[in-house]
Amino acid sequence: MVTKKDTEMMETDISLVMNIKTGNKQALGRLVERHKKLAYQIALGLVGNKDDAYDISQEAFLRVYRSAGTYDENQPFLPWFNRIITNLCRTWLKRRSLYARRMVDVDDNAYLLVDPRNPEQELIRSETVACLCRALLELPFEDREIITLQHFRGMSYDEIASILDIPRGTVMSRLYYARKKLAKLMERNNG
Amino acid sequence: MDKHLHELLAGYVDGELSDDERRAFETALVTDPELRRELEEFKKLKEVTGLMTYADLPEEVWENYWQSLYRKLERGFGWIFMSLGAIILLCFGAFSALYEIYTDPGVSLWVKAGLAALIIGAIVLLVSYVRERLFAYNRERYREVNR
Repeated sequence: MVTKKDTEMMETDISLVMNIKTGNKQALGRLVERHKKLAYQIALGLVGNKDDAYDISQEAFLRVYRSAGTYDENQPFLPWFNRIITNLCRTWLKRRSLYARRMVDVDDNAYLLVDPRNPEQELIRSETVACLCRALLELPFEDREIITLQHFRGMSYDEIASILDIPRGTVMSRLYYARKKLAKLMERNNG
Repeated sequence: MDKHLHELLAGYVDGELSDDERRAFETALVTDPELRRELEEFKKLKEVTGLMTYADLPEEVWENYWQSLYRKLERGFGWIFMSLGAIILLCFGAFSALYEIYTDPGVSLWVKAGLAALIIGAIVLLVSYVRERLFAYNRERYREVNR
């Protein structure tokens, strides 16, 4: 017997967007339940602020609803969705750089925490966390994006290649250069 | 360093290499001290980031996520209809007022001429602004750059 849960699992992202195209808000609700944390975490990695990441993730779903008509059902959903989120983050960062006062937001350094489930958590000092947070926010946008997906979302190279719509080899080389820059920034911030 | 080795280095740290790629990388590692240094650097970085996680939101925020989004969706429609209504009423009001003024023989010709100049000026400025924005948009070099 096919249960309700099975039906939900069988429902692909693409079929949900097709339903959203017809104005079906329940389909949007199911898509939101499926990807809300992914959207929030991608945005958080890119803008480094919890409240703004929350707002951006919600705006991304609103864009999905409004732009569902332009979605090409022959293309996978996640790269399209990721582009919506990254474009929103770019706009947000541009706006933030115009209003430089926002840069000193006290919350900015609290978007990364030592994982409480990790038994070695006490080995990490708060300065290291702050140093990493700063270094990540100083990274160029594209580098921060790939570091977010690999280091903090724990995605495989195939998943990253799919979501960013780039070849696997490009994932590897982009990760190499992003890590080089991150290591250099951390070294500089450590003094 | 060989560009291919860069890619292999990233894949080696993340355990994403095939057996052949891993063997090739380990062979290069024996003879290349710079590669060994970079490997250590990346391992250390991976270790530090591996101990961290993104700050999550409280559970009640996630529970109310959809309701909050739904409210924004509804408000969005509200704003669209309100703006549309305001535009229609303003246009109708402006048209009626202008009609009254221009068909009223009691209003001085100077007032009519001044008002006409004001309207023409506003239209010229609006067209010029829109054209400038369109021009800038078409010339935007990074418009298509998404990542």
